[in-house]
Amino acid sequence: MKKRIIASALAMSFAVPCAFAQDSSNVRISGFGTGALTWTNTDDAQFARPNQQTGAKKNPTTGVDSNLGLQIDYKVNNWLSLTGQGLVRKDAQNDFGAEASWAFAKAKVSDDVSFRVGRMGMPAFMISDYRNVGYANTMLRPPAEMYSQMLFNTLDGADVTWQHSYGDTTYTAQFAVGKNKTDLISELSVDARRITALNLVAEHGPLTVRFGRVDGRVTLNGSTSLAGLVNALNTVAAGYKLPSAAQLATDVDVKDKKASFTSVGASLDWNNIVVQSEYAKRKTDSYVNDTTSWYVMGGYRFGKILPYYSHAKLSIDGSPDNHMPAACPAGYPAACTPTIAALSGAVASLRYIGLGQGEQQTDSIGVRWDFRNSVALKVQFDHVRPNKSYGLLVNAKPGFNSPVNVGAVALDFVF
Amino acid sequence: MKQPIKTAIAAAALLLTLPAMAEVVVVANPKAAEASMTKDQVAQFFLGKSTSMTPIDQPESAPIRGEFYKKVTDKDASQVKSLWSKLVFTGKATMPKEVGDSAAVKKAVAADPKAIGYIEKSAVDGSVKVLYTAP
Repeated sequence: MKKRIIASALAMSFAVPCAFAQDSSNVRISGFGTGALTWTNTDDAQFARPNQQTGAKKNPTTGVDSNLGLQIDYKVNNWLSLTGQGLVRKDAQNDFGAEASWAFAKAKVSDDVSFRVGRMGMPAFMISDYRNVGYANTMLRPPAEMYSQMLFNTLDGADVTWQHSYGDTTYTAQFAVGKNKTDLISELSVDARRITALNLVAEHGPLTVRFGRVDGRVTLNGSTSLAGLVNALNTVAAGYKLPSAAQLATDVDVKDKKASFTSVGASLDWNNIVVQSEYAKRKTDSYVNDTTSWYVMGGYRFGKILPYYSHAKLSIDGSPDNHMPAACPAGYPAACTPTIAALSGAVASLRYIGLGQGEQQTDSIGVRWDFRNSVALKVQFDHVRPNKSYGLLVNAKPGFNSPVNVGAVALDFVF
Repeated sequence: MKQPIKTAIAAAALLLTLPAMAEVVVVANPKAAEASMTKDQVAQFFLGKSTSMTPIDQPESAPIRGEFYKKVTDKDASQVKSLWSKLVFTGKATMPKEVGDSAAVKKAVAADPKAIGYIEKSAVDGSVKVLYTAP
C-alpha cells in the first residue's frame, strides 16, 4: 500500500510539470539563452556587439555573447493574446542588465489579419525579432557590419500584419508606427519619433525573401562633444561671418533629423544547403554616416553538424558636405584659418568616431552542432578588418588600425 | 486452443514491428472544408506559416512525431525546433498544442473543425477525415 502511494506520488511529480508544459492552461512560459566565451588576439582594442560598452580582449569573457530571455504568453481567448519578454544581456551598460524586449497585446481579427499594440520588435532586419535567440540562428551572432547600423531593437506603438498563402507561397505584410528611446553607451541616448516600418516577406518552400523599410526622425541626447562642435561652428559662423560654418553645424547635428533604413534579404534551406544574405542602406540628415552594409552566409548540413562561412562588409556612402573655405579671406584675424582647419578636421573625424561609424569587414567560419534536442553548440572564428581607424571595435588605443582575430564558443538553448 | 495463442503471438510480433513501419496520415475534422491537401500545405500549418488551421502535435518522445516531420516537412526535430523558436520568441505564434497520443489527437480533431493532426493509419476511424497520407 505504502509503495503504491509513493509510486503514484512519484508519478504525479513527473506528470504535473509535464501537464504544465503541455499547455493545459492558457499561460505559456518559454525561454532562450546563450552561454558563451569570447576572446581575441589583442589587448589594444576590444571586440563587442553593437552598443556594448566593453568587449572581449585576450582573456575570454562571457559578456559579449551571453544572454537569457524569458517569455510569457497568455491566451485570453480565441482572438486575444498577451506577450511579455524580458532579456538579460550586456547592452549600453557595463554590467548584465534586464530589459523588457516586448510587451504587447495581439488581436487576431481574421485568419489573415492581426493587430498588435505595445512594445514589439522593430522589423528592420530579416532576423531582427530573433537576433538574440542564438538557437534560432545559424551563426553565433548577427554580423555587426549590418546589425550595428540600426540600434532601435524595439518599437512602442502599433502594427498590423496580414498573412496569406496562395498555393505553396506564403506572403506576409507588416506595417508599424511608433516611437523609441534607446540608451546608448557613454551615457548617451537616442530618440526616434514618427517611426513607420514596412516589412514584406514571401516564403516559398525552402526560400524566403524580404524587403524592409524604416523611416523616422532621430535625436541624439547627451553628447557633449557633438554639442561642443556644433557650438564652435556656430560661434565661428557668427564671429567670422562664415555662413558655411553655420550650415555645417546644422548638417552634422542630430536633432529631429530624418533617417531611413532600407534592406532586402533572402534565406534558403534546401537539401542541406543553407544560405542567408542581407543588403542594407542607411541614410540620415546628420553626421551619422550614410552607409551600405551587407553579408552573405553559406553552410552545408551534415546531419547534426552545420559548418558555415560568412563575409560581412560595412562601407560609408557619404557624410555631410563641408563647404567651409580652406583658408579665411585676407584681412581676417590670424587665428581664423587654423580655427576652421581644426573644425574641418573634427568634422571629418566624425566619419570614424562613435557608435556604428567607421568601415569594416569580417570573414567568419563556424560550426553549429545540434548535439541534443533544444541545445546547440557553436564555435566561430572571425577575422575582423577595420578600414581606417578602428572600425566597429571599441576602446581602441590611439592610432589602432589592425586586423583582429576573434574566437567564441557558445551553447544555445531553448526551453 | 493452440491456434489462438499462435495468432496472438503473431499479432503481438506484428504490433512490435508496427511503429517502425507505421504509415502516417494527416487528419482533420469531418466538417473541415478541405477534402485533401498537398504535403506542402500540411507543412505550412506545422511550421507556423499559416494559422488558418490549428496544428495538434504528438509528444517529442513519440516516434510518429519524428516520422511525420521528416516525411512532411523534410526536417528533423532540431530544425523544426529552431524554426519554431523564431516564431515563438517574436510573439508571432505559439508552439502547436501537444496531446498524449493518436487517440488524443483524434479526440482534439473531432472536437474542433479547425484542428489538424497526424496519426497512424491504423488508428483512423469515422471521427476524423484523412487529408493526406505520407508515402
